[in-house]
Amino acid sequence: MDNRLTPQEQNALIEDALITYPLAPMPRNITVNVMARLPKNTRPALVTWNDFLLSLVIASCVGALWFASQNLPPILIAKLHIQGILLYQDFLVNARWLVPAMMFGLAALLAALTIPALIQMTMMKNVHK
Amino acid sequence: MPDTETTLIQKAQKGDHDAFAALVDAHQRYVYNLALRVVKDENEALDLTQETFVRAWTALPNFKGQSQFRTWLYRIVTNLCYNRLPNLRRSLNDLGDDVMEDIPESKFNAPAQEFESNETRRHLYQAIDAFDANYQLLITLRYQHELSYDEIASTLNLPLGTVKTGIFRAKEQLRKSLARLEESWTTV
Repeated sequence: MDNRLTPQEQNALIEDALITYPLAPMPRNITVNVMARLPKNTRPALVTWNDFLLSLVIASCVGALWFASQNLPPILIAKLHIQGILLYQDFLVNARWLVPAMMFGLAALLAALTIPALIQMTMMKNVHK
Repeated sequence: MPDTETTLIQKAQKGDHDAFAALVDAHQRYVYNLALRVVKDENEALDLTQETFVRAWTALPNFKGQSQFRTWLYRIVTNLCYNRLPNLRRSLNDLGDDVMEDIPESKFNAPAQEFESNETRRHLYQAIDAFDANYQLLITLRYQHELSYDEIASTLNLPLGTVKTGIFRAKEQLRKSLARLEESWTTV
């Protein structure tokens, strides 16, 4: 007697094996490890102590400059005024190109600053695909 | 009342770590199994599972709920597997799509057949274990994770025909393995 399996029996066995093929148990729970690896994106305070110190230093410098300018002798102020006029005239004659060059440099810098954000966005999109 | 998955996702999207931990708890075994079937190494699979959830956390604000959360996770882990195994993507594409007929959807709650012996089942399990990574991926998504063919195609970014062909060929391999087992029965 031929006791070979019929195609239907074969199919049933294969389907059954595929469906009942067991999931492997987790060797260990990884929740704690995952949570430890999450980037800490706590919202920064509106003003930090660093901001406060930096503004204090800048304010002190501005104050010292203003105090010094108010106490300069009149002859020195006149000399500084003349030097200022000479510098401005020199700029008008010899360095007019500096303004467009600086604007171009600023625009290039701003464009460069967007590159990391664009790369990050592209990577995010790839994760979604 | 326990939170539903949708509520947990919404909370996690707002930065709730506890909600995300609950999601990790719920899905880690499935993600791990998918990684394990493909890379066939316990430690590497654990590493991939962790990496999947870290990436999921980063990308979670962009999860719009258009697909199920679990299929979204499977997509992430699959992409990570592609990075680990550069040939996997090619071997899946190389499957082609020559199986044109519709494969009937399986009933996942079908009880085990009475006539099935444990020996046969063990033999088939071994044959499944020996599958290449591409077949492992397809079979695991289809039978362990119970995704439809369309969902698998979308998750793996493959044509539907390629998914059907891959699963059909995997079953053909099992059929051959079963035939060899039958041969051994008749020769004894």
